[in-house]
Amino acid sequence: MMDDLFDSAVNFEEVHFKKGYDEGYSHGLVAGKDEGKQVGLKIGFEVGEELGFYSGCIHIWTSAIQIDPRCFSSRAKTAIAQMKDLIQKYPLMDPEDLQVQEIMDSLRLKFKMICSLLHVKLHYNGYPAEANDTQF
Amino acid sequence: MERLELKEVQKLEGHTDRVWSLDWNPATGHAGIPLVFASCSGDKTVRIWEQNLSTNLFSCKATLEETHTRTVRSCAWSPSGKLLATASFDATTAIWENVGGEFECVSTLEGHENEVKSVSWNASGTLLATCSRDKSVWIWEVQPGNEFECVSVLQGHTQDVKMVRWHPTEDILFSCSYDNNIKVWADEGDSDDWQCVQTLGEPNNGHTSTVWALSFNASGDKMVTCSDDLTLKVWETEHVGMQSGGGFAPWRHVCTLTGYHDRTIFSVHWSRGGIFASGAADDAIRLFVENNESQVDGPLYKLLLKKEKAHDMDINYVQWSHGEKPLLASASDDGTIKVWDLVS
Repeated sequence: MMDDLFDSAVNFEEVHFKKGYDEGYSHGLVAGKDEGKQVGLKIGFEVGEELGFYSGCIHIWTSAIQIDPRCFSSRAKTAIAQMKDLIQKYPLMDPEDLQVQEIMDSLRLKFKMICSLLHVKLHYNGYPAEANDTQF
Repeated sequence: MERLELKEVQKLEGHTDRVWSLDWNPATGHAGIPLVFASCSGDKTVRIWEQNLSTNLFSCKATLEETHTRTVRSCAWSPSGKLLATASFDATTAIWENVGGEFECVSTLEGHENEVKSVSWNASGTLLATCSRDKSVWIWEVQPGNEFECVSVLQGHTQDVKMVRWHPTEDILFSCSYDNNIKVWADEGDSDDWQCVQTLGEPNNGHTSTVWALSFNASGDKMVTCSDDLTLKVWETEHVGMQSGGGFAPWRHVCTLTGYHDRTIFSVHWSRGGIFASGAADDAIRLFVENNESQVDGPLYKLLLKKEKAHDMDINYVQWSHGEKPLLASASDDGTIKVWDLVS
């Protein structure tokens, strides 16, 4: 039997689709990895910056307590100690640890609470802004 | 059956914007002390209204202004009636003290990220709770010298928290939210360890839209909630408060009152006498009472009366006064407050 005269024509679309897919896939592997690296660098820097900001605050507050143990209320001192523990618990070298977001949320909450306890208005500049739609 | 009527005693004008909330001073209305309540408004002020003992009419005794820079959304008297807490969209809660008839702002509670929506004192007046659009609930402890210290920041709601209310006898806190849930918070340990001990939501026959308000009956074993889902729900618990073993007696759904409202219900308040009033976006006030007609499977609560066109616009808040013969006060978007008497 003779080869079907129309074989190549019938497969034309399929062959080209496959070819395009393979090219796109290998290109995507390279570009995606690169893009991922950029996002990782950016997010990693942001997380590091925020953690650094909190560490700095804790450092100053802890030093103040060492100089004058009565400078803050006992509740404030407890909250500062708890925040210090949270920072130490943060899995800095393991970004895929599921605790990451949970600890960051707790840190932000503790920070707000300590600011209220110390009657200071501190604000981390990189703190994600919220949409400002009014609701009653 | 006796015919009851909600009679308008007085319409109070003075606020120049919508009136959001009001609170009767618990230390007034008995022993010859004239009834007093506070109201708060979108005009950024709080007004203090006092009843004249001879005419029985209310007049504005004081206007608390130039402290809050935005809408004052909620106000609450301490149990002793000496302090007034006001929660504002300016993200702060102010504490006012009555010093010889003059109200002085003695403390400002800062901590919420944005609009504070509601404020409530516990039964002993030692703790204060606030909630905000920032989704958190804060508990503050009253300290000597009008100082307030943050005890705990509670996170659990996923949306704007509309109202906080302490249980009338126990240190258990209730909050309701735009996330359709009611949450119950208790201090389980002994050192500021506040946790969410129960969530009343859709899976427990809860509300299917924003829960706007909640109120307890006199004995504190029942609670009524109102919602944007056009229903009122009644809940109950077996034991009030924490049990001796340290466990918490959960609340359960008793019944849902549907078909009475066709617009959002913004407010509900249970009187000591067992009548609960609702205020809604249809400008009407409705009163409900326990159904004593002993039908099997009959409704547990029935509509006592409906006052149509109680206000010209949405009714944001209703509250019964304390005492033997309570008056009902209502606050509305029309900028007025009305005082009502339930007469037969």
